[in-house]
Amino acid sequence: MISRRILAGAVFMTFLAGCSKGAESTPDPKLTSLGTVEVTAKLIDVGGEFPPNDLYDYAHVMQYEVLEIHRGQVSGTTIFVGHYNPRKARTGVGDERSGEVGGNVTQFVAGDVHRMALAEPIDEQFMGGIVNKLPESEKGPIYWAIWTNRANQ
Amino acid sequence: MCDTSHPINIKRATVACVFIFSACCAFADDAQVQLAEELHGHGWIVFSARAQNETWDLFLMRPDGSNLRNISNTADLEEAAPRFSPEGDRLLYRRLAKGTKIDHDKWGFQGEAVIARADGSDAIALGGAGEYPWASWSPDGTAIVCLMPKAIQVVDIATKKLVREMPRKGIYQQLFWSPDGKWLTGTGNHQGESWTVVRMNAETGDTNAVHVFQSCTPDWHPDSQRVIYSSRPGGQKANGGYGWTQLWQANGDGSEAKLLFGEDGVHIYGGALSPDSKFIIFTKSHMDGGGSESSGAPMCIMRATDAPIIQGESPDLRALHPNTKDGPVLELVPGWEPSWTLHEIVNQP
Repeated sequence: MISRRILAGAVFMTFLAGCSKGAESTPDPKLTSLGTVEVTAKLIDVGGEFPPNDLYDYAHVMQYEVLEIHRGQVSGTTIFVGHYNPRKARTGVGDERSGEVGGNVTQFVAGDVHRMALAEPIDEQFMGGIVNKLPESEKGPIYWAIWTNRANQ
Repeated sequence: MCDTSHPINIKRATVACVFIFSACCAFADDAQVQLAEELHGHGWIVFSARAQNETWDLFLMRPDGSNLRNISNTADLEEAAPRFSPEGDRLLYRRLAKGTKIDHDKWGFQGEAVIARADGSDAIALGGAGEYPWASWSPDGTAIVCLMPKAIQVVDIATKKLVREMPRKGIYQQLFWSPDGKWLTGTGNHQGESWTVVRMNAETGDTNAVHVFQSCTPDWHPDSQRVIYSSRPGGQKANGGYGWTQLWQANGDGSEAKLLFGEDGVHIYGGALSPDSKFIIFTKSHMDGGGSESSGAPMCIMRATDAPIIQGESPDLRALHPNTKDGPVLELVPGWEPSWTLHEIVNQP
Protein backbone atom coordinates (compact mmCIF):
# COMPACT_ATOMS: atom_id res chain seq x y z
CA MET A 1 0.00 0.00 0.00
CA ILE A 2 1.31 3.41 -0.96
CA SER A 3 1.87 5.72 1.96
CA ARG A 4 0.32 9.19 1.99
CA ARG A 5 3.81 10.74 2.10
CA ILE A 6 4.93 8.94 -1.06
CA LEU A 7 1.68 9.82 -2.79
CA ALA A 8 2.03 13.49 -1.88
CA GLY A 9 5.62 13.46 -3.16
CA ALA A 10 4.55 11.94 -6.45
CA VAL A 11 1.82 14.53 -6.87
CA PHE A 12 4.33 17.33 -6.13
CA MET A 13 6.85 15.94 -8.64
CA THR A 14 4.12 15.68 -11.25
CA PHE A 15 3.20 19.32 -10.52
CA LEU A 16 6.84 20.39 -10.93
CA ALA A 17 7.17 18.46 -14.17
CA GLY A 18 4.01 20.12 -15.40
CA CYS A 19 5.37 23.53 -14.55
CA SER A 20 8.63 22.77 -16.31
CA LYS A 21 6.86 21.52 -19.41
CA GLY A 22 4.64 24.58 -19.30
CA ALA A 23 7.67 26.90 -19.29
CA GLU A 24 9.16 25.10 -22.27
CA SER A 25 6.01 25.33 -24.27
CA THR A 26 5.75 29.08 -23.69
CA PRO A 27 8.65 30.53 -25.65
CA ASP A 28 9.91 34.05 -25.18
CA PRO A 29 7.31 36.37 -26.75
CA LYS A 30 10.15 38.29 -28.39
CA LEU A 31 11.00 35.15 -30.32
CA THR A 32 7.46 34.61 -31.48
CA SER A 33 6.74 38.21 -32.45
CA LEU A 34 9.87 39.83 -33.88
CA GLY A 35 11.06 39.46 -37.45
CA THR A 36 9.57 37.11 -40.01
CA VAL A 37 11.30 33.83 -39.24
CA GLU A 38 11.80 31.83 -36.05
CA VAL A 39 14.10 28.83 -35.99
CA THR A 40 16.03 26.58 -33.69
CA ALA A 41 19.47 26.10 -35.19
CA LYS A 42 22.90 24.77 -34.33
CA LEU A 43 25.81 27.20 -34.59
CA ILE A 44 28.25 25.56 -37.00
CA ASP A 45 30.80 28.28 -37.69
CA VAL A 46 31.21 31.59 -35.88
CA GLY A 47 32.92 33.05 -38.95
CA GLY A 48 36.34 33.79 -37.54
CA GLU A 49 37.57 36.08 -34.82
CA PHE A 50 35.13 38.75 -33.78
CA PRO A 51 36.27 42.29 -34.60
CA PRO A 52 37.19 44.62 -31.72
CA ASN A 53 34.27 46.64 -30.39
CA ASP A 54 36.05 49.39 -28.50
CA LEU A 55 35.53 52.00 -31.23
CA TYR A 56 33.25 50.42 -33.82
CA ASP A 57 30.40 47.95 -33.59
CA TYR A 58 29.80 45.46 -36.37
CA ALA A 59 27.41 42.72 -37.35
CA HIS A 60 29.28 39.43 -37.73
CA VAL A 61 28.01 36.68 -40.00
CA MET A 62 27.82 33.10 -38.65
CA GLN A 63 26.72 29.79 -40.15
CA TYR A 64 23.90 27.70 -38.65
CA GLU A 65 22.27 24.35 -39.34
CA VAL A 66 18.52 24.65 -39.01
CA LEU A 67 17.02 22.04 -36.69
CA GLU A 68 13.42 23.27 -36.55
CA ILE A 69 11.40 26.01 -38.19
CA HIS A 70 8.83 27.50 -35.83
CA ARG A 71 7.62 30.38 -37.98
CA GLY A 72 8.11 31.61 -41.53
CA GLN A 73 10.08 29.86 -44.23
CA VAL A 74 13.74 29.01 -44.69
CA SER A 75 15.18 27.44 -47.79
CA GLY A 76 17.63 24.64 -47.05
CA THR A 77 19.13 23.58 -43.76
CA THR A 78 22.13 25.91 -43.80
CA ILE A 79 21.53 29.57 -43.06
CA PHE A 80 23.79 32.54 -42.45
CA VAL A 81 22.97 34.94 -39.66
CA GLY A 82 24.45 38.32 -38.78
CA HIS A 83 24.71 38.96 -35.05
CA TYR A 84 25.28 42.50 -33.80
CA ASN A 85 28.38 43.12 -31.70
CA PRO A 86 28.97 39.41 -30.89
CA ARG A 87 31.54 40.13 -28.23
CA LYS A 88 28.66 41.29 -26.02
CA ALA A 89 25.97 39.24 -24.29
CA ARG A 90 22.64 39.64 -26.05
CA THR A 91 21.10 41.27 -22.98
CA GLY A 92 21.62 44.96 -23.47
CA VAL A 93 23.48 44.69 -26.77
CA GLY A 94 20.97 46.85 -28.62
CA ASP A 95 21.71 50.52 -29.27
CA GLU A 96 20.79 53.40 -31.57
CA ARG A 97 22.38 51.69 -34.52
CA SER A 98 21.00 48.18 -34.11
CA GLY A 99 17.46 48.92 -33.02
CA GLU A 100 15.82 46.18 -30.96
CA VAL A 101 18.11 43.18 -30.61
CA GLY A 102 18.58 40.95 -27.58
CA GLY A 103 18.11 37.54 -26.03
CA ASN A 104 19.80 35.48 -23.35
CA VAL A 105 22.84 34.12 -25.19
CA THR A 106 25.96 35.35 -23.45
CA GLN A 107 28.56 34.16 -25.95
CA PHE A 108 28.70 32.53 -29.34
CA VAL A 109 30.31 29.08 -29.35
CA ALA A 110 30.25 26.63 -32.24
CA GLY A 111 28.05 23.65 -31.37
CA ASP A 112 25.58 25.63 -29.27
CA VAL A 113 21.92 25.58 -30.23
CA HIS A 114 20.01 28.85 -30.44
CA ARG A 115 16.38 29.74 -30.92
CA MET A 116 16.24 32.92 -32.95
CA ALA A 117 13.85 35.48 -34.34
CA LEU A 118 15.24 36.59 -37.71
CA ALA A 119 14.55 38.97 -40.56
CA GLU A 120 16.11 39.19 -44.01
CA PRO A 121 17.93 40.50 -45.88
CA ILE A 122 20.35 41.94 -43.37
CA ASP A 123 21.05 44.93 -45.64
CA GLU A 124 17.49 46.13 -45.13
CA GLN A 125 17.51 45.62 -41.39
CA PHE A 126 20.86 46.83 -40.12
CA MET A 127 22.66 50.09 -40.83
CA GLY A 128 26.25 49.32 -39.95
CA GLY A 129 29.38 47.50 -40.95
CA ILE A 130 28.93 43.82 -41.73
CA VAL A 131 31.89 41.49 -41.27
CA ASN A 132 31.44 38.36 -43.35
CA LYS A 133 34.26 35.87 -43.64
CA LEU A 134 32.04 33.06 -44.93
CA PRO A 135 32.15 33.12 -48.73
CA GLU A 136 29.51 30.39 -48.96
CA SER A 137 26.99 32.92 -47.67
CA GLU A 138 26.96 34.62 -51.06
CA LYS A 139 24.53 31.98 -52.31
CA GLY A 140 21.68 32.80 -50.02
CA PRO A 141 20.20 35.60 -47.98
CA ILE A 142 21.94 36.66 -44.81
CA TYR A 143 19.51 36.91 -41.93
CA TRP A 144 19.60 39.58 -39.24
CA ALA A 145 19.37 38.15 -35.73
CA ILE A 146 16.85 40.18 -33.76
CA TRP A 147 16.43 37.92 -30.74
CA THR A 148 18.74 35.04 -29.80
CA ASN A 149 18.06 32.68 -26.91
CA ARG A 150 19.68 29.47 -25.83
CA ALA A 151 17.52 26.58 -26.99
CA ASN A 152 16.33 23.87 -24.66
CA GLN A 153 18.10 20.73 -25.80
CA MET B 1 49.47 70.77 -30.53
CA CYS B 2 46.45 72.15 -28.71
CA ASP B 3 45.40 70.53 -25.49
CA THR B 4 42.20 68.74 -26.39
CA SER B 5 41.15 67.92 -22.86
CA HIS B 6 39.76 71.36 -22.05
CA PRO B 7 36.59 73.08 -23.20
CA ILE B 8 36.71 76.19 -25.32
CA ASN B 9 37.20 79.35 -23.34
CA ILE B 10 36.52 82.12 -25.83
CA LYS B 11 38.64 84.76 -24.09
CA ARG B 12 41.55 82.36 -23.68
CA ALA B 13 41.18 81.14 -27.27
CA THR B 14 41.20 84.71 -28.55
CA VAL B 15 44.29 85.60 -26.52
CA ALA B 16 46.01 82.42 -27.69
CA CYS B 17 45.07 83.20 -31.27
CA VAL B 18 46.53 86.70 -31.00
CA PHE B 19 49.62 85.35 -29.25
CA ILE B 20 50.18 82.66 -31.86
CA PHE B 21 49.59 85.16 -34.62
CA SER B 22 52.06 87.61 -33.03
CA ALA B 23 54.59 84.85 -32.44
CA CYS B 24 54.25 83.79 -36.04
CA CYS B 25 54.92 87.37 -37.10
CA ALA B 26 57.83 87.76 -34.70
CA PHE B 27 59.53 84.50 -35.53
CA ALA B 28 58.92 84.63 -39.21
CA ASP B 29 56.74 81.65 -39.95
CA ASP B 30 55.76 83.71 -42.91
CA ALA B 31 53.94 80.94 -44.69
CA GLN B 32 51.57 80.36 -41.77
CA VAL B 33 51.01 84.08 -41.31
CA GLN B 34 50.24 84.44 -44.97
CA LEU B 35 47.81 81.54 -44.80
CA ALA B 36 46.05 83.13 -41.84
CA GLU B 37 45.79 86.41 -43.70
CA GLU B 38 44.27 84.67 -46.70
CA LEU B 39 41.74 82.99 -44.46
CA HIS B 40 40.59 86.01 -42.51
CA GLY B 41 37.33 87.17 -43.99
CA HIS B 42 37.05 84.03 -46.07
CA GLY B 43 33.60 83.16 -44.80
CA TRP B 44 32.75 81.36 -41.58
CA ILE B 45 33.35 78.01 -39.96
CA VAL B 46 30.68 76.43 -37.78
CA PHE B 47 31.61 73.50 -35.58
CA SER B 48 30.68 71.72 -32.40
CA ALA B 49 32.95 71.85 -29.38
CA ARG B 50 32.81 71.37 -25.66
CA ALA B 51 32.00 74.71 -24.07
CA GLN B 52 32.81 76.16 -20.66
CA ASN B 53 29.40 74.96 -19.51
CA GLU B 54 30.87 71.45 -20.10
CA THR B 55 28.28 70.51 -22.72
CA TRP B 56 28.77 70.41 -26.48
CA ASP B 57 27.71 73.70 -28.08
CA LEU B 58 27.87 75.21 -31.56
CA PHE B 59 30.53 77.79 -32.37
CA LEU B 60 31.14 80.19 -35.23
CA MET B 61 34.50 81.66 -36.13
CA ARG B 62 36.44 83.09 -39.01
CA PRO B 63 38.64 80.45 -40.70
CA ASP B 64 41.75 82.09 -39.23
CA GLY B 65 40.40 81.45 -35.74
CA SER B 66 39.21 84.98 -35.04
CA ASN B 67 35.71 86.16 -34.08
CA LEU B 68 35.02 82.97 -32.14
CA ARG B 69 31.57 82.89 -30.56
CA ASN B 70 29.33 80.32 -28.93
CA ILE B 71 26.04 80.46 -30.86
CA SER B 72 24.02 77.90 -28.92
CA ASN B 73 25.36 78.17 -25.34
CA THR B 74 22.96 75.66 -23.87
CA ALA B 75 24.08 74.21 -20.57
CA ASP B 76 21.19 71.75 -20.53
CA LEU B 77 21.66 70.25 -24.01
CA GLU B 78 24.38 68.81 -26.24
CA GLU B 79 24.60 70.09 -29.82
CA ALA B 80 26.74 68.46 -32.47
CA ALA B 81 27.67 68.16 -36.13
CA PRO B 82 26.32 71.44 -37.53
CA ARG B 83 26.31 71.85 -41.27
CA PHE B 84 25.56 74.97 -43.27
CA SER B 85 22.73 74.84 -45.79
CA PRO B 86 23.83 75.26 -49.42
CA GLU B 87 22.77 78.92 -49.22
CA GLY B 88 24.68 79.35 -45.99
CA ASP B 89 21.72 80.86 -44.18
CA ARG B 90 20.74 77.89 -42.00
CA LEU B 91 22.26 75.10 -39.95
CA LEU B 92 21.27 71.45 -39.66
CA TYR B 93 22.60 69.60 -36.62
CA ARG B 94 21.80 67.01 -33.93
CA ARG B 95 20.61 68.02 -30.47
CA LEU B 96 20.96 65.52 -27.66
CA ALA B 97 19.97 65.27 -24.02
CA LYS B 98 22.53 66.67 -21.62
CA GLY B 99 25.17 64.13 -20.72
CA THR B 100 24.70 62.00 -23.80
CA LYS B 101 28.05 60.77 -25.03
CA ILE B 102 28.32 61.71 -28.69
CA ASP B 103 29.38 58.57 -30.49
CA HIS B 104 31.66 59.36 -33.42
CA ASP B 105 30.29 56.33 -35.20
CA LYS B 106 26.57 56.61 -34.38
CA TRP B 107 25.93 60.33 -33.97
CA GLY B 108 23.57 60.40 -36.94
CA PHE B 109 21.22 58.11 -35.02
CA GLN B 110 21.46 60.15 -31.83
CA GLY B 111 19.22 62.94 -30.62
CA GLU B 112 16.94 65.04 -32.78
CA ALA B 113 17.62 66.77 -36.07
CA VAL B 114 17.42 70.54 -35.67
CA ILE B 115 17.36 73.41 -38.14
CA ALA B 116 18.35 76.93 -37.07
CA ARG B 117 19.47 80.17 -38.63
CA ALA B 118 23.16 80.35 -39.40
CA ASP B 119 23.77 82.40 -36.28
CA GLY B 120 22.14 79.68 -34.15
CA SER B 121 18.87 81.50 -33.54
CA ASP B 122 15.36 80.11 -34.11
CA ALA B 123 16.37 76.50 -33.56
CA ILE B 124 13.50 74.13 -34.36
CA ALA B 125 13.57 70.36 -34.02
CA LEU B 126 12.37 68.51 -37.11
CA GLY B 127 11.23 65.52 -35.07
CA GLY B 128 11.88 63.47 -31.99
CA ALA B 129 14.99 61.69 -30.81
CA GLY B 130 16.25 59.18 -33.34
CA GLU B 131 14.10 60.52 -36.17
CA TYR B 132 15.59 61.56 -39.50
CA PRO B 133 18.81 59.57 -38.99
CA TRP B 134 21.90 60.96 -40.72
CA ALA B 135 19.86 63.88 -42.09
CA SER B 136 21.76 66.16 -44.46
CA TRP B 137 20.81 68.92 -46.89
CA SER B 138 19.43 68.55 -50.38
CA PRO B 139 21.32 70.63 -52.97
CA ASP B 140 18.61 73.31 -53.00
CA GLY B 141 18.17 73.36 -49.24
CA THR B 142 14.45 72.60 -49.34
CA ALA B 143 14.71 68.98 -48.24
CA ILE B 144 16.78 66.62 -46.15
CA VAL B 145 18.04 63.20 -47.15
CA CYS B 146 18.04 60.51 -44.47
CA LEU B 147 19.20 56.94 -44.07
CA MET B 148 16.45 54.57 -42.99
CA PRO B 149 16.94 50.81 -42.58
CA LYS B 150 15.15 49.93 -45.80
CA ALA B 151 15.75 53.02 -47.90
CA ILE B 152 17.21 56.44 -48.46
CA GLN B 153 14.45 58.98 -47.93
CA VAL B 154 14.13 62.54 -49.13
CA VAL B 155 11.88 64.60 -46.86
CA ASP B 156 10.57 68.07 -47.64
CA ILE B 157 11.51 70.37 -44.77
CA ALA B 158 8.47 72.64 -44.94
CA THR B 159 5.84 69.90 -45.05
CA LYS B 160 7.85 67.00 -43.58
CA LYS B 161 6.40 64.86 -46.34
CA LEU B 162 8.34 62.03 -47.90
CA VAL B 163 9.01 63.15 -51.45
CA ARG B 164 11.27 60.37 -52.65
CA GLU B 165 12.59 56.98 -51.61
CA MET B 166 15.34 54.83 -53.08
CA PRO B 167 17.20 51.66 -52.05
CA ARG B 168 19.93 52.21 -49.51
CA LYS B 169 22.34 49.82 -51.26
CA GLY B 170 24.37 49.12 -48.13
CA ILE B 171 25.14 52.75 -47.23
CA TYR B 172 24.91 53.01 -43.47
CA GLN B 173 26.18 56.43 -42.42
CA GLN B 174 27.46 59.86 -43.43
CA LEU B 175 25.21 60.39 -46.44
CA PHE B 176 25.71 63.61 -48.43
CA TRP B 177 24.17 64.89 -51.64
CA SER B 178 26.43 66.46 -54.28
CA PRO B 179 26.01 70.19 -54.97
CA ASP B 180 24.88 69.46 -58.55
CA GLY B 181 22.23 67.03 -57.30
CA LYS B 182 23.42 64.14 -59.43
CA TRP B 183 25.14 62.01 -56.81
CA LEU B 184 25.08 60.85 -53.22
CA THR B 185 28.06 59.68 -51.25
CA GLY B 186 28.16 57.75 -48.01
CA THR B 187 29.92 55.05 -46.05
CA GLY B 188 28.68 51.53 -46.51
CA ASN B 189 29.01 47.84 -47.14
CA HIS B 190 29.85 47.35 -50.79
CA GLN B 191 30.55 44.05 -52.47
CA GLY B 192 31.30 42.33 -49.18
CA GLU B 193 33.55 45.03 -47.77
CA SER B 194 32.45 47.30 -44.95
CA TRP B 195 33.84 50.82 -44.48
CA THR B 196 33.75 51.58 -48.16
CA VAL B 197 33.15 55.12 -49.39
CA VAL B 198 30.40 54.71 -51.96
CA ARG B 199 28.99 56.97 -54.66
CA MET B 200 25.36 56.54 -55.72
CA ASN B 201 23.75 57.91 -58.86
CA ALA B 202 20.84 59.92 -57.45
CA GLU B 203 18.70 59.15 -60.49
CA THR B 204 19.31 55.43 -61.06
CA GLY B 205 20.51 54.32 -57.63
CA ASP B 206 23.56 52.64 -59.18
CA THR B 207 26.51 52.57 -56.84
CA ASN B 208 30.25 52.33 -57.20
CA ALA B 209 33.09 52.25 -54.71
CA VAL B 210 35.06 55.46 -54.37
CA HIS B 211 37.47 53.89 -51.92
CA VAL B 212 37.41 50.36 -50.50
CA PHE B 213 38.68 49.36 -47.05
CA GLN B 214 38.79 51.41 -43.86
CA SER B 215 37.49 54.61 -45.35
CA CYS B 216 34.71 56.89 -44.17
CA THR B 217 33.47 60.44 -43.52
CA PRO B 218 33.16 61.34 -47.21
CA ASP B 219 32.19 64.79 -48.37
CA TRP B 220 31.78 66.39 -51.75
CA HIS B 221 34.27 68.54 -53.53
CA PRO B 222 32.32 71.64 -54.64
CA ASP B 223 32.71 70.49 -58.26
CA SER B 224 30.56 67.40 -57.49
CA GLN B 225 33.14 65.30 -59.32
CA ARG B 226 35.53 64.50 -56.50
CA VAL B 227 35.07 63.13 -52.99
CA ILE B 228 37.21 63.92 -49.94
CA TYR B 229 37.35 61.20 -47.28
CA SER B 230 39.33 59.67 -44.43
CA SER B 231 41.25 56.48 -45.04
CA ARG B 232 43.42 54.28 -42.90
CA PRO B 233 45.37 52.26 -45.45
CA GLY B 234 46.29 48.70 -44.58
CA GLY B 235 49.83 47.50 -44.15
CA GLN B 236 50.90 50.29 -41.80
CA LYS B 237 53.39 49.17 -39.17
CA ALA B 238 52.91 52.22 -36.98
CA ASN B 239 50.56 52.39 -34.01
CA GLY B 240 50.96 48.68 -33.31
CA GLY B 241 49.90 47.81 -36.83
CA TYR B 242 46.62 49.71 -36.47
CA GLY B 243 48.01 52.60 -38.47
CA TRP B 244 46.95 56.23 -38.71
CA THR B 245 43.98 57.69 -40.55
CA GLN B 246 44.80 60.08 -43.39
CA LEU B 247 42.84 62.51 -45.54
CA TRP B 248 42.38 61.50 -49.18
CA GLN B 249 40.56 62.59 -52.31
CA ALA B 250 39.43 60.65 -55.37
CA ASN B 251 37.25 61.11 -58.39
CA GLY B 252 33.69 59.90 -57.93
CA ASP B 253 34.47 56.78 -59.95
CA GLY B 254 37.33 55.98 -57.58
CA SER B 255 40.09 56.95 -59.95
CA GLU B 256 43.02 59.24 -59.19
CA ALA B 257 43.01 58.66 -55.45
CA LYS B 258 45.39 61.13 -53.85
CA LEU B 259 46.70 61.80 -50.36
CA LEU B 260 45.80 65.28 -49.12
CA PHE B 261 47.17 65.27 -45.58
CA GLY B 262 48.78 62.73 -43.31
CA GLU B 263 50.76 62.66 -40.12
CA ASP B 264 51.88 59.63 -38.19
CA GLY B 265 50.63 59.99 -34.64
CA VAL B 266 47.23 61.47 -35.43
CA HIS B 267 43.98 60.41 -37.09
CA ILE B 268 42.50 62.80 -39.64
CA TYR B 269 38.72 63.18 -39.82
CA GLY B 270 36.08 65.74 -40.63
CA GLY B 271 37.63 66.67 -43.97
CA ALA B 272 35.82 69.29 -46.04
CA LEU B 273 36.64 71.93 -48.60
CA SER B 274 35.84 75.61 -48.54
CA PRO B 275 32.99 76.32 -50.97
CA ASP B 276 35.44 77.85 -53.46
CA SER B 277 37.70 74.75 -53.26
CA LYS B 278 40.70 76.80 -52.18
CA PHE B 279 41.12 75.43 -48.65
CA ILE B 280 40.76 72.13 -46.83
CA ILE B 281 39.64 71.84 -43.21
CA PHE B 282 40.02 68.74 -41.05
CA THR B 283 40.59 67.62 -37.47
CA LYS B 284 43.56 65.69 -36.15
CA SER B 285 43.17 63.53 -33.11
CA HIS B 286 45.55 61.25 -31.25
CA MET B 287 42.62 58.93 -30.58
CA ASP B 288 40.84 57.27 -33.46
CA GLY B 289 37.34 58.57 -34.08
CA GLY B 290 37.82 62.33 -34.05
CA GLY B 291 37.32 62.97 -30.35
CA SER B 292 33.55 63.36 -30.10
CA GLU B 293 33.53 61.18 -27.00
CA SER B 294 35.83 63.65 -25.22
CA SER B 295 36.39 67.25 -26.34
CA GLY B 296 37.03 67.06 -30.05
CA ALA B 297 40.41 67.60 -31.66
CA PRO B 298 42.32 70.55 -33.10
CA MET B 299 40.88 71.77 -36.38
CA CYS B 300 43.39 72.52 -39.11
CA ILE B 301 43.25 74.36 -42.43
CA MET B 302 45.56 74.07 -45.42
CA ARG B 303 45.49 75.30 -48.99
CA ALA B 304 44.20 72.76 -51.51
CA THR B 305 47.04 73.68 -53.81
CA ASP B 306 49.58 72.70 -51.14
CA ALA B 307 48.35 69.10 -51.05
CA PRO B 308 49.71 66.61 -50.35
CA ILE B 309 51.13 67.70 -47.02
CA ILE B 310 52.80 65.39 -44.54
CA GLN B 311 53.65 66.70 -41.09
CA GLY B 312 55.62 65.29 -38.19
CA GLU B 313 58.47 62.85 -38.68
CA SER B 314 56.15 60.29 -40.30
CA PRO B 315 58.99 58.24 -41.81
CA ASP B 316 56.80 55.46 -43.20
CA LEU B 317 54.32 57.87 -44.71
CA ARG B 318 57.05 60.01 -46.25
CA ALA B 319 58.61 56.90 -47.75
CA LEU B 320 55.32 56.08 -49.45
CA HIS B 321 54.69 59.64 -50.60
CA PRO B 322 58.09 61.25 -51.33
CA ASN B 323 56.88 64.38 -53.11
CA THR B 324 54.97 66.23 -50.44
CA LYS B 325 55.07 69.56 -48.64
CA ASP B 326 55.45 70.14 -44.90
CA GLY B 327 52.86 72.90 -44.74
CA PRO B 328 51.70 75.45 -44.05
CA VAL B 329 48.84 74.23 -41.89
CA LEU B 330 46.97 76.56 -39.57
CA GLU B 331 45.98 74.84 -36.35
CA LEU B 332 42.84 76.11 -34.64
CA VAL B 333 40.86 75.41 -31.48
CA PRO B 334 39.53 71.89 -30.78
CA GLY B 335 36.27 71.07 -32.49
CA TRP B 336 34.39 68.36 -34.29
CA GLU B 337 32.66 68.11 -37.68
CA PRO B 338 33.34 71.63 -39.02
CA SER B 339 31.38 73.12 -41.91
CA TRP B 340 32.30 76.13 -44.04
CA THR B 341 30.30 78.85 -45.80
CA LEU B 342 31.39 81.90 -47.77
CA HIS B 343 28.10 83.62 -47.09
CA GLU B 344 28.14 86.47 -44.66
CA ILE B 345 26.31 85.72 -41.44
CA VAL B 346 24.13 88.51 -40.20
CA ASN B 347 23.40 89.35 -36.54
CA GLN B 348 27.07 89.36 -35.73
CA PRO B 349 27.91 91.38 -32.61
